[in-house]
Amino acid sequence: MLEVRGLTRRFGGLVAVNDLSFEVNEGEMIGLIGPNGSGKTTTFSMLSGALRPSAGTIAFNGERIDGLKANKVCRKGLARTFQVVQPFPDITATENVMIGAFVNVGAGRQAEAKAREMLERVGLTPKADTLAKELTLLQLKRLEIAKALATEPKLLLLDEVAAGLTSTEVDVMLQLVRQLNTEGITCIIVEHVMRFVMNLSHRCIVIDFGSQIAEGTPEEILNNPAVHAAYLGEEASIA
Amino acid sequence: MNFNFSGAVLSQAIASGIMLGGLFALISIGLTLIWGVMKIINFAQGEFLMVGLYLAYFLVAWGHIDPYITILVTVPFMFFFGIGIFRATISPILKDPVMNQIMLTLGVSLILQNLALMLFSANVQSVHTRYATWNIHIGPVVISAPQLIALFGSVICTLAVWYFLKTTDSGRAIRASAQNPTAATLMGIDVPRTYLLAFGLGSATLGLAGSLMIPFYYTQPTVGVFLGLIMFIVVVLGGMGNLVGCFVGGLVIGLAETVGAAVFPGSLARVFTFSIFIIFLLFRPQGVLSKRQT
Amino acid sequence: MSLKMPYIRILVVGALICLLPLVLDTFYMHIAVLVLIWAFLACAWNIIGGYAGQHSLGNGLYMGIGAYTVAYLVNRFALTPWVGLLVAIALSAAAAAFIGWIVFRYALKGAYFALVTIALTEAAVYVVSNIPALGGAGGMQMEYRGNSLAYMQFAGQSGYFYMGVLMVVFILLLTQWYKSKRFFYQLIAVRENEDAAEALGVDTVKAKIKANVMSGVLCAVGGVFYAQYFLYVGPRSVFGEVVSVQILIYAIVGGLGTTWGPVVGAVLLVPLSEIARGQLGNSLPGSQLLLSGVVMVLTMLFMPFGIIGAVARLRQRWQHRSATPLVDSQGGEAS
Ligand SMILES: Nc1ncnc2c1ncn2[C@@H]1O[C@H](COP(=O)(O)OP(=O)(O)OP(=O)(O)O)[C@@H](O)[C@H]1O
Ligand SMILES: [Mg+2]
Repeated sequence: MLEVRGLTRRFGGLVAVNDLSFEVNEGEMIGLIGPNGSGKTTTFSMLSGALRPSAGTIAFNGERIDGLKANKVCRKGLARTFQVVQPFPDITATENVMIGAFVNVGAGRQAEAKAREMLERVGLTPKADTLAKELTLLQLKRLEIAKALATEPKLLLLDEVAAGLTSTEVDVMLQLVRQLNTEGITCIIVEHVMRFVMNLSHRCIVIDFGSQIAEGTPEEILNNPAVHAAYLGEEASIA
Repeated sequence: MNFNFSGAVLSQAIASGIMLGGLFALISIGLTLIWGVMKIINFAQGEFLMVGLYLAYFLVAWGHIDPYITILVTVPFMFFFGIGIFRATISPILKDPVMNQIMLTLGVSLILQNLALMLFSANVQSVHTRYATWNIHIGPVVISAPQLIALFGSVICTLAVWYFLKTTDSGRAIRASAQNPTAATLMGIDVPRTYLLAFGLGSATLGLAGSLMIPFYYTQPTVGVFLGLIMFIVVVLGGMGNLVGCFVGGLVIGLAETVGAAVFPGSLARVFTFSIFIIFLLFRPQGVLSKRQT
Repeated sequence: MSLKMPYIRILVVGALICLLPLVLDTFYMHIAVLVLIWAFLACAWNIIGGYAGQHSLGNGLYMGIGAYTVAYLVNRFALTPWVGLLVAIALSAAAAAFIGWIVFRYALKGAYFALVTIALTEAAVYVVSNIPALGGAGGMQMEYRGNSLAYMQFAGQSGYFYMGVLMVVFILLLTQWYKSKRFFYQLIAVRENEDAAEALGVDTVKAKIKANVMSGVLCAVGGVFYAQYFLYVGPRSVFGEVVSVQILIYAIVGGLGTTWGPVVGAVLLVPLSEIARGQLGNSLPGSQLLLSGVVMVLTMLFMPFGIIGAVARLRQRWQHRSATPLVDSQGGEAS
C-alpha cells in the first residue's frame, strides 16, 4: 500500500532522514522507532506532504504522492497525528474534529454527527463542547487521533500518541489502536513507549541518525545488538 | 512614458535618487531597530517622524534656532516620546497576536495624525533657512547641501547604531532579548527595560531625521503616511534588521522614486516603488543583501 | 435553541429597523444610511479578516473598484448602475482572485500580508489619480437622474435606507448560512492553525483565495452603493489606507469573526464619529478619525475580542459559575 524509496531530507548540512526505503502492506501495523532526533517525525512529515523530500519517492496505493501538498495526500486517505499537538484552539473539540470530517461529508450536520462519533471513540465525549484551548495535553492527544480518524484514512501515521500516558491510559490507547486495525486501518506507529509499539506492531523499522539500522518482528528487534547500541544511553530503554 | 531623456536628466535623477535614498535610509534606521531587530510592529512610525518634523519646524520657525542645533532637543524629546507611547500602549499587548499590535499602532497613528490636524491644520509647513540655497554643482548635476548633510547624517547614524548594537552592553542586551527573551532573562538582562530602550532609540532616530530633513523638506499631518510605508519597504528590502541592508534598501527605493519620476508621468512613480516592494516580498523576502537561507 | 433562530433574529431586527424612517429626521437618516454602508463593508471584510484570519488592510481597493466602475459606466455610457454593479462584481472578483492567488501562494502572512494589501490599495490611489478618464485626483461627480430604482437613485434618503437595510440583512443571512457550511469551517481552521488544516485535507491556499474573492466582491458591492449614495467618487474617498482601516475598524470593535460584530461596531461608532464631525468638524477637523483611533487603541488594550467577544466571555464566566455547559451545542461562537 505504501512504498518508500530512497527517502532523504536535509536541513542545511544536517541529514535528518537518509535514504530510507520500506514498504507497508494493507492491514499491517508498523512500528517506526529510533532514539530522539533520529528522524521519525521528519519521515512522517514527508509521508504526509507537510515537508518536501530532498530526494526519494513515495508511492501510496501505486500512485506517487511525493511533492503533493498535505491536503491532497490527506484526501487520498493518508492521515497523521502531530507529536506536538496542533489543535484549533478557539473552537470546540467537536468543531475541531468536524474540519477533518468535512473531507468526506459536505453537510454541517452530518459532519457534526461524525465528529461526535469520533470523539466517543477516543473517549472525549464529556469534552465535546469545550474549547480546544481549555483541554489538557492528554485530551489534546486524543483529539489529534479523533481529527485524523474523521478524515477516514486508510493509512494512519501515529506520532507518539502514548507518550506521557499512565500505564492504564496506555492500555486504553492500545485497545483503541488495535480496534482501528481490525477495522482495516493500516497504521505506522512512532513511539518511545516500547510496551505500546511492541504489543501492536507486526513489524518494526528502526532508524538512527536518519538511516535504517534494522527491520523485523518485535522479537527480532528486541534481540538485535545494533538496536541496543543505538539506544544506549537513551532514557527509553528498550528492554 | 518618456524613455528618450538625456544623459543629463538621467545623471541628475541618479544623484537626486542617492540623496533621497540617504533620506529614506535615515528615517528607516529606527524601524530597522524596532521591527527588524526587536520584532515590535509599529504602524505609527511614520507619525513619529511627523512629530519629529513638527518639533524641528517649530524650533526653527518660531524659536529661530539653527536647524542643526535643534538636534539637541529633537533627539531626547523623541526618545522620551517613544518611551511614553511604548509604555502606555504597545508594551501591554506585546504578547498578543501580531494583528492586535498592527491595529493598536494604526490607532495610535490615527490619533497622532488627527491631533496634528487639529492643532496645526492641514497646511504644508516648511522653513526658509540660509542652507536652502546652498547648492553644490558637479558637472551638470546639482546637489543641495542640506540633502548632502542628511545623507552624511544617515551614514553616521547607521554606523553609530551598528556600533552600539555590536559593542556596548546595552546593544548586546538588545540583540539577546530579541533573539531569545527567556535566555536573556536568565542571563540577568532586564528584558522589559531593554525593549523600552530599543523602542526609545528607534524613536530618537526620528528626532534626528526631523532636524536633518526640515531645512529641505516640509511637514504636514499626513506626511507620515507615505514615509511610514517607505520605512516598512526599506526595512523589508534591507533584510529585516540588517543596518547595512537598510542603507542599501533606502538607496534602491530612492533611486526607484527619482528614476521612476523621470520615466513615468505624474505620481505613477509611486506605483513603481510599491511594485518593487511587492515583488521583493514575494520573491526575495530575505532582502537585497543576505543570502537565501534554507 | 432552534437552528432557525439566528435567521429569524436577523429578519426581525431588519424589519424593526425599517420603522426608523418614521421617527428620524434628515440628519439622522443620513447617519443611518452611513451606518448601513459601513456595517455592510465591515461584514464583507469580516469574511477574510475575521473568519479566515487574514487581516487585509487594503479592502478599500475592492470598494474603490466597485465605486469607480459604476461611476465610470454611468457617466461615460449612461448605463444603469445595475449593469455597473454586475461589471463591478466581475472586476473585483478577478482582482481579488489574482491578488489572493499571488499573495497566498507565496504564503504571505501577518505584517507582510498587511503591508502588501496597503501597498496595493495605495498604488490604486496613484493609478486612478493619473487617469484623466476617471477624473484624475479630483474624482468623478455623478449626475442625479431622478428618483427611480432603475437608476438606483432616490429623491430622499429613505430609498437608500431601505436598500441599505436589504443589503445588510442579506449579508447577515449569508454569513449565518455559511457558518454551518464546510467552507467557513475551513476558513476558521485556516485562521486557527494552517498546518493542522492542511493535514486535515483543507486546501488552505484555495480557501483563502475564495474568502478573498467573496470579501472583495461584497466590498465592491458596498462601493457601488456608496457611489450611488454620494454621487461622487474620489481616489482617497474610496481607495487607500484610511478607507481600508475604516472598513475593518467596525468589525474589530464589534467583534471579529462573529455574525453581528461588524454591525454592532458600525451602529455604535458611525453615529458617534458623524456627530463629532457634525459638531466639531469645522472647528476641529479630524475629530472623527481621532475618535476612531482612540476607540481602536482602547479596544486592543482592554477588549481585544471586541464588544461581542467581551460579552460572550462575560456570559461564559457567569455560566461557568452556575455550572451549566460552557458553550451551547450549536457551535461555540456567540451569534
Ligand atoms: N525544521 C527543521 N529545521 C532544522 N532541523 C530540523 C527540523 N526538523 C527537524 N530537524 C532536525 O532533524 C533531526 C530529526 O528530527 P525529528 O523531529 O524527525 O526526530 P524524531 O525522531 O522525531 O525525534 P523525537 O523522538 O525526539 O521526536 C533532528 O536533529 C532535528 O533537530
Ligand atoms: Mg518526533
